[in-house]
Amino acid sequence: MTDTAIAASALGKRFGRRGGWALRDCTFRLPAGRVCAVVGPNGAGKSTLLALAAGLLGATEGELTVLGTTPAQARTRIGYVAQDKPLYPQLTVAETLQMGADLNPERWDAAAAERIVAAGDLNPKSRVRALSGGQRTRVALALALGKRPGLLLLDEPMADLDPLARHELMGVLMVQAAQHGTTIAMSSHVVAELEDSCDHLLLIGGGRVRLAGEIDDLLAAHTRVSADADADLAAHTVVESRTTGRQLSALIRPAGPLPDDWRTDTPSLEELVLGHLRNPGAPALAPAEEAVA
Amino acid sequence: MSALPPAGGGLPRTVLRLHRAALLTWTVFVVGVSGWLAWLTKVTAYDPGSKGPSCYDVCVDGFSYPVQLSWAGDLIDYGFVGVAAFAGGALIGRELESGTARLAWTQGVTPVRWLAAKLALPALAVTVGGTVLSLVFRWAFAAHPDLSWENWTWAIAFTARGPLLVAYALCALAVGTLTALWLGRALAALGTAAGAMWLFSAVLTYYRPYLWPALTRTGPHAFDLPDGTWLVSEGSNSHGRFATYHPASHYWPLHLTETAIVLTVAVLATLLSFRLLKHRTESPA
Repeated sequence: MTDTAIAASALGKRFGRRGGWALRDCTFRLPAGRVCAVVGPNGAGKSTLLALAAGLLGATEGELTVLGTTPAQARTRIGYVAQDKPLYPQLTVAETLQMGADLNPERWDAAAAERIVAAGDLNPKSRVRALSGGQRTRVALALALGKRPGLLLLDEPMADLDPLARHELMGVLMVQAAQHGTTIAMSSHVVAELEDSCDHLLLIGGGRVRLAGEIDDLLAAHTRVSADADADLAAHTVVESRTTGRQLSALIRPAGPLPDDWRTDTPSLEELVLGHLRNPGAPALAPAEEAVA
Repeated sequence: MSALPPAGGGLPRTVLRLHRAALLTWTVFVVGVSGWLAWLTKVTAYDPGSKGPSCYDVCVDGFSYPVQLSWAGDLIDYGFVGVAAFAGGALIGRELESGTARLAWTQGVTPVRWLAAKLALPALAVTVGGTVLSLVFRWAFAAHPDLSWENWTWAIAFTARGPLLVAYALCALAVGTLTALWLGRALAALGTAAGAMWLFSAVLTYYRPYLWPALTRTGPHAFDLPDGTWLVSEGSNSHGRFATYHPASHYWPLHLTETAIVLTVAVLATLLSFRLLKHRTESPA
């Protein structure tokens, strides 16, 4: 076993020979056992990154290691749920789970998969094409969890669930992570959705990694300051600063002790994410970079 | 965790489960057309209503044995268009378009194994069904030669009486798969694959007499060729009359040459399909 779930180094993916880069120069490390939020605006490259990790796409450049090997070789140990939750419409729910058993002969945990489906009051004989969006999500998650993955990749998993089902399924995921040590990486563009359940953050913007690390460490590394407009921020890394009249408010990474007359407090996760997304020029912070190299 | 399926058996079972409807349709087609041919040969041909023992009496009748035989032959011969549409649409194209292919690829099945199973099972079904249809057609065609104008050079019988029939179906399967992988959309692949296969067969049918060296006969005066020859060209020059033609014994050389060409295209399309799939899903080594 390895203590690293995903390690990317200078990872890049371009679609077509002349197409734009969906992902470029991505370097980060996700330790095993974490629940990682993959956050970024629409079109940032989140889906591309998850598809690369799931072995569905080949990287154009760079290296990607998943569970200590290549994504393709880790295939049997990776669970993946795509954004649009593709399922075979002509199969029933029971047949869909049977397919999971047939295609994962050595790993399938039928009881776990059936439990997730049963919790949603789904008739096993219903055809998938007759299910609602939320019910499809449930079946797709059951299929992904039934193979008892070491790494679970979820692309916008909760988008079409009602609050109750979202809460319940998030609970199922957290139990999975706690009981089996499953690493979970889930993407969303709604930060609030992930704040309570995730302990690791990967912020992607414009196809690049903007922030990567433990959420607590990242929050601790940043400070929100209010000071006089003539305050000198040059010693610190400035993510975002705004001057209103005689007042300066800024989000910074302090390089040392701050003057006593500055009012400081810890930013929320959402402030941290928005600050970086609003300011694409702000330097990235990915403490794991040395660990990969 | 009870009764784990034997390793390797799960993928074929899944492919069968997914394409049940197509398999059922194909079975109904094979059984239906075979039954129709049997009825034609054993009942319609002896119908007292179509009184005559020869084609002169029955060939003009709209529902007589030779007319219906050509309809059944058309269905059998152009079945490959349906196979191409199925491969481009339901078998591969729809899976890529709706993302269900990715679902299979993250269920512990590599894309290459997935495509292999997706091709092997339909190939088996098409080979078995095509062989049955070909054998039944051979029997029906040979049963009443005096009730038909047609002989071995008839385009419908030329294809349906041998392995060329199965070769076209296998080629359609491969071409449909390649088109779907290339276009990634079900409806576009369905149309393109069916059209391309139809065009391919039309071109081969046109050049069919040139696939094997024809015999040439010359003479100072007009002459008759023996019955059952395929006249390719005739005319006269300074030495007199000439004719190039295929005798009936050229059926198998012509048929097998065309079969080899069609199968070569099928193999190339299959190899290209796997290369395209690997290119999409794997990092350049």
